[in-house]
Amino acid sequence: MIEYLVCAAAFGLLLLGIHRKVIARIQMRPGPPVWQEILHALKFSFKSTWVPRTASATLFVGIVLVAIAIWSAALFVVLAGESILILIGIYMLHKIVEHGFGLSSGSPYGKFGGVRSVISAASEIPLFVTITAIYFFTGSLLLRDIVAYQAVHGPLLLIVPPAAIAMYLVILSKLPFGPFSIVESKEIVSGYKTEHFGVWRAALAVTDGLKTFVLLYAFVLIFLGALPFWLILALMTAVLVSLSFVCAITPVLSPYDSVTVQSIITGLMLAYIGYLWWVVP
Amino acid sequence: MAMKRKTVEYGLTASALIIVIAWIALTTGAIPLWAAEAVFVVAFPALVLTLGLWWRAGGGEEDFPFIGY
Repeated sequence: MIEYLVCAAAFGLLLLGIHRKVIARIQMRPGPPVWQEILHALKFSFKSTWVPRTASATLFVGIVLVAIAIWSAALFVVLAGESILILIGIYMLHKIVEHGFGLSSGSPYGKFGGVRSVISAASEIPLFVTITAIYFFTGSLLLRDIVAYQAVHGPLLLIVPPAAIAMYLVILSKLPFGPFSIVESKEIVSGYKTEHFGVWRAALAVTDGLKTFVLLYAFVLIFLGALPFWLILALMTAVLVSLSFVCAITPVLSPYDSVTVQSIITGLMLAYIGYLWWVVP
Repeated sequence: MAMKRKTVEYGLTASALIIVIAWIALTTGAIPLWAAEAVFVVAFPALVLTLGLWWRAGGGEEDFPFIGY
C-alpha cells in the first residue's frame, strides 16, 4: 500500500514535469527536463526550513500534513473503487486546505491565494454536478459500478460527453499555468504556497503529485472504464498533454473572469442535466 | 526552525515503525485493508515531513546559519 503512495506521487510529479515540458515546447522554449518536478521535490527537501515569525506555527506545519493525508486517502478511495462522492468531498477539503495554507503564514500573498481559493471553489465545485449525469445512466456513484456499467455499455465519454468536458475543466482548474490557476498566479508570487519553502514545499510537491495522479486516474476510470494498467497510464498522459496544450495557449484569467467562465459552464451543465432528466427513462 | 536531529529521528522512527507494523498486520490478516489504509493516511505524511527534516536537521552544535537578506 505504501508503495502505491510513493509510485503515485512520483508518477504524478513526472506528469507535472511533462506538463511543463509540453507547455515550453509549444511556446518555442526548450523547457526543463520532464523529471524536473521530481528533482524539485528532492531539492526542496534538502533546503533550510523554518517557520516565519508571522505564521501560526501549528497551522503552518499541520496543514502540510493534512494536505498529504487527504490526497493519500483519495488515492485509496479510487483504487478501492469507492464512491466518487468521497472524491468530491476530498476535493472540497482541498479547497479548505489551500485556504489554510494561505492564512497560516501571515503573508499577504498567501492570504490572497487563500481567498482566491475560496472564490474559485464557488465555481469549480458546482462543476461536479456532472456526477448527476453519470448517475442517470449508471444508477450508482461507486467507481466499481461505473466501471462495470462501461464494460457492458461502452465508455461514458461517448454516452455523456458534456459531463466529461466539465470534469476535464475541473482537472484543468487544478493544473499549474492553466487559465483558471488563479490561486497561485504570479501577480501574487506563488499564492498560498508563497511562504512554504524547504521541506514544507517538498511535502507540497508530494501532495501535487498525488493530486495530479488521482484526478487523472479517476477521469480515465469514470469516462473510459477498466483498461489494462499500462493503457490507463498512457491515457492519463494523453489527457495531461491535451490539458498542457490548453494551458500553453491561454493566459491566466483574472479571478472574476475565471469564476464567470466556470459558472457559465456549470449553467450549461445544469441545462444538459435537465435535458437528460427529461429524456432518460 | 530550531529542531534537533534527535527529536526528528524520534518522529521518523515512529512513523516508519507504524507503517511497517501496519503493513505486516495487513499481510498476516490481523487487520482489514481499510484499517491499514487509515494508518497509512495518518503515518505517511508524518514520514514524508520527518524524512525531509531529518536530512537537514542539525545536532544543535552548529554555527548560526545565514538566514536570508
